[in-house]
Amino acid sequence: MLRVANLRKDFSSIRAVDGVSFDVERGQIFGLIGRNGAGKTTTIRMVLNILQPDAGEITFDAKPFSDQTRNIIGYLPEERGLYKKSKLLDTILYFSGLRAMHHHAAKAEAKKWLDRFSLMPYADKKVEELSKGNQQKVQFITSIIHDPQLIVLDEPFSGLDPVNQILFKDIFLDLKQKSKAIIFSTHQMDQAEKLSDEICLIHHGRVVLNGSIRDVKKRYGSNSVHLEFEGDGAFLRSLPGLKDVIMYENSAELQFADGFNPQQILPEIAAKLELRKYELREPSLESIFIQTVGEKEEAKA
Amino acid sequence: MNKAIVVAKWEYFEKVKSKAFLLGLFITPLIMVGMGVLPGLLAGKEDESTKIVGVIDATGELFEPLRQRMERYTLSKGQPNYILQHIAVGNTVDIAEAVAQADAKVEGDDLEGYLVLGSNALNDSVMEYRSKTAGDFRLINRLQDNLKNILSERKFRERGIDPAVMNELRVALDIKTVKVTKEGGEETSFMKTFFSAYVFLMALFFLILTSGQLLVRSVLEEKSNRIIEVLVSSCTPSELMMGKVLGLSALGFTQIGFWALIALASTAKFGTSALPPANQMLLMLVYFVLGYLFYSAIFIALGTPVTTEQEAQQINGYLVMFLILPVALVVPVMQQPNALWVKIVTYIPLMTPTFMALRIPIQMPSLWEIVATIVIMIISIYFMMIVAGRIFRVAILATGKRASLGELVRWVREG
Repeated sequence: MLRVANLRKDFSSIRAVDGVSFDVERGQIFGLIGRNGAGKTTTIRMVLNILQPDAGEITFDAKPFSDQTRNIIGYLPEERGLYKKSKLLDTILYFSGLRAMHHHAAKAEAKKWLDRFSLMPYADKKVEELSKGNQQKVQFITSIIHDPQLIVLDEPFSGLDPVNQILFKDIFLDLKQKSKAIIFSTHQMDQAEKLSDEICLIHHGRVVLNGSIRDVKKRYGSNSVHLEFEGDGAFLRSLPGLKDVIMYENSAELQFADGFNPQQILPEIAAKLELRKYELREPSLESIFIQTVGEKEEAKA
Repeated sequence: MNKAIVVAKWEYFEKVKSKAFLLGLFITPLIMVGMGVLPGLLAGKEDESTKIVGVIDATGELFEPLRQRMERYTLSKGQPNYILQHIAVGNTVDIAEAVAQADAKVEGDDLEGYLVLGSNALNDSVMEYRSKTAGDFRLINRLQDNLKNILSERKFRERGIDPAVMNELRVALDIKTVKVTKEGGEETSFMKTFFSAYVFLMALFFLILTSGQLLVRSVLEEKSNRIIEVLVSSCTPSELMMGKVLGLSALGFTQIGFWALIALASTAKFGTSALPPANQMLLMLVYFVLGYLFYSAIFIALGTPVTTEQEAQQINGYLVMFLILPVALVVPVMQQPNALWVKIVTYIPLMTPTFMALRIPIQMPSLWEIVATIVIMIISIYFMMIVAGRIFRVAILATGKRASLGELVRWVREG
């Protein structure tokens, strides 16, 4: 569906995007991950023809961006905003019209989506009268109402409560079922891990990691232990054979060097902490992220 | 192109439906009428009660005839408008003492004011009116008129002429200005030309400012909430710009059209035909539309790079100056419509519409001048729109600091 090859973009002296390449297929949820300012949004803007790349190529089903492309893409920008003084239904119809959707079809679709988001009673209310979460739902509707083939969502979950996050997630999975290609960017790794089929980690404008979640995890080995405990876990940092550790208040994720058997330190941990859970599993995307980005930072320093 | 229509419809209907627009539609003419008519009405209002005016007459001969004349004015219920009070009359009057006495009465509101006629008033016609407020023009005019007549009559009598002859000999004068045209003489008046030119300018001024401002505002809003990103991913920047210009112009024309209807209805009612002939109106309309398009392009070029409301206000200020310039030149052009400088300035695109609008009702410019100016305008609009489009394309996505003039030039060149 979408192919991005060797994309480059400079802003005066800063290289915001440097040789980014990836492919997104139909029926795939593609997670674009990275820290704030890594170049995710700039990449997205180039894909959507909002910014012109300085170098590289972007094609949609092997064709360059055209006026037809505009009508088959949907976009939810990171910074939310709608016309405050306009009515909900009018707003949705305006954006569908801009994607060349016929008025009648748009109206029927709009009602369907408003219903799904339980916003029907507000259809004739002004946007400013809605809560922030509801405004975000409206904006989401505007980005998918025209049945786009490629849906680009920049940080779609930020600002949503857990119930709405699940609502959004269900819709993403529906869209995936309908063979849409979905790109979403996030810096929340747990979201990316739960949803994506493929990920692409961008750091300082470069792709540092990409592939299917499974492959990525495999690459990072499965020598990882998840702990849940009560007590002071500070000593965990100085365990032997440790490659990396992520500490939380009452849990930790330990990554051990390849070939090291984590079983041998279980007694030591069990002696010092009241363990609730000890699980051997693949590393989480978060630990991979921190490890990868951390290494880059160190290499730089 | 279709999407430009979608944008235009949105901009038009969203604004037309707004309360601010509806309010403006009705309130503005009310304010205009209010400002034009109300002061006149108030100033022309009759006094509510009789006013007592004191007189110090050191000649001893003016008080009586003035009193007779002034007490002829009556108020609505038949009571006299003025009563003249004798303060000190006669050639032995001590003016200083009488003034002190009269001042006290004015202070105590016993007198509206008083007139001081010095002993030499019959010869040098110098007199003084003193009051708390010096603003009662009607009273002062009446005093002046009557005293003038009294003094004139005296002088006529001194030379043995019957004052009645004076009235007979008075000549009524009214110069009519006649514009010479091929079809023969056509009566015109300075006021009429002035008025039509002014209406033209004001309408243009208003239209550009409102729709230009709305455009800058809407771009500013879309920039700050980043809707602009969704917009330019759904349509091209030129479609977006065209749509906005179309929609907001339609909005402006709706407003002006509505007011024009009100104005026409009211002139029809009052029976005054302040309108120039149809062919002139049509030609003026052509220049109006051309001028509007040209100025709009300037507005876009200068207005869309702004990033804050304050900057938008500033830019607006500069543009108002552009527009004010032709207004300031209305009178000199009307005085010498055929002067060389007027002809030259007519060809500067910024001035063409207003100068032609001024010249047409005074003296129809020759055909080649009309064709030449229209062609110049169309070419200028074309180039200005390209420049505006290039700036618009970059400016809508630029955030942060406002672009410098150098950057604007670069955007235009690179586009």
